[in-house]
Amino acid sequence: MSARAFAAVALLGLIASSAPVCAAPATDAVATHPDFSGFWNLDMKVPRDPGLMALVPPNTAFMDDTGPAEFPAGNYGGLILTPAAQAAAKKWNPRTQLTPENACRPPTIVYALQGPFPIEIFQSDKFIVMKLEYYDLVRLIFLDGRKPEADYPHSPTGFSSGHWEGSTLVVTTDHLEAGTITNNGLDHTENMKVTERFRLSEDGKVLMATQEYEDPAVIKNRGVRFIAWRRQSGQHVYPYECDPGFAGNYQDAK
Amino acid sequence: MRNRKPVRHVVGAAMALVLAWSSTQLAQAHHSFAVFFDTDAQLVKVTGVVRDFQFRNPHGVITIEVPQGQTHVTWRAETNSPSILHRRGWNSDSLHVGDTVTLEGWRARDGSRYMRLKSAQLADGRMVGQPAP
Repeated sequence: MSARAFAAVALLGLIASSAPVCAAPATDAVATHPDFSGFWNLDMKVPRDPGLMALVPPNTAFMDDTGPAEFPAGNYGGLILTPAAQAAAKKWNPRTQLTPENACRPPTIVYALQGPFPIEIFQSDKFIVMKLEYYDLVRLIFLDGRKPEADYPHSPTGFSSGHWEGSTLVVTTDHLEAGTITNNGLDHTENMKVTERFRLSEDGKVLMATQEYEDPAVIKNRGVRFIAWRRQSGQHVYPYECDPGFAGNYQDAK
Repeated sequence: MRNRKPVRHVVGAAMALVLAWSSTQLAQAHHSFAVFFDTDAQLVKVTGVVRDFQFRNPHGVITIEVPQGQTHVTWRAETNSPSILHRRGWNSDSLHVGDTVTLEGWRARDGSRYMRLKSAQLADGRMVGQPAP
């Protein structure tokens, strides 16, 4: 067993033995479900999966900014902003993003998952570990029905619970801290609820997902992104190790 | 806000405003390409001598001195994330102080001599790294 594989197994064991919340009985074994394990790189050429998109509720805007593309100022991809969110977006000053204080502040999974960075998945029957290269974020998706403690903290990755609906993994996430939705002034609150559906392509080479957003304090409707990654063997996510000193370069520019 | 109990509408609206306000104070992220850089205008291309090359996330930065009349001006180009560029053949040794390089990219909307790098070409014609797939 390689050192990296050993470390991954050790991580899974550590998580299993130090469950921070009340565990419910385990559900299905991994062998009965698709295996998402591996290294996945974003692939923007994959067309939207009709089956996944059919599960998106009505009154949901499709946000077509997955990958490097981003909406310009004032464009929120079809999301209908509340007056409070509109006022906040109008006041937003993009220059504040390029300060040493903020340059390395990680986004939440609302913005991070769709970025042009790979992910790596370790899967068991009780939980899934998803490492995002972007900002070194690590997600835990519990599959055993456990609930967060009353004082569970809010964070960029939040608290994620998953269950299988056939071959589709359905994940709901809350306990997110406030963060950007579109990276142009529209921010979600701590009450953002994210629903994701993950499914493999028929040949198992592509992992597809829809990521839905619900946060009535800032958006009157709902939003969804479609994200797809292609499996690549023999690779791993790299350390991100963000350096806030980067921001000084822009501050020095004339 | 966690474990919030039902409140009157007026109080709820006030809370929403507070939440929205607080999110603007707290929620920062990686700076926006679309907001910072002018993707509608023509690409800018400058040739100069490398004064500094940083290869760290969230972006590498190439600083060059570009001759202008009897003096020179400083241009900076931020690269894609080094963790992404690493897979395209870049590393911290790709450029050295004193190298002559031509940088092409999207200029900052504020008009400063700062760009988002599209490509970098050495004086001997070699491109630095491989283009995006």
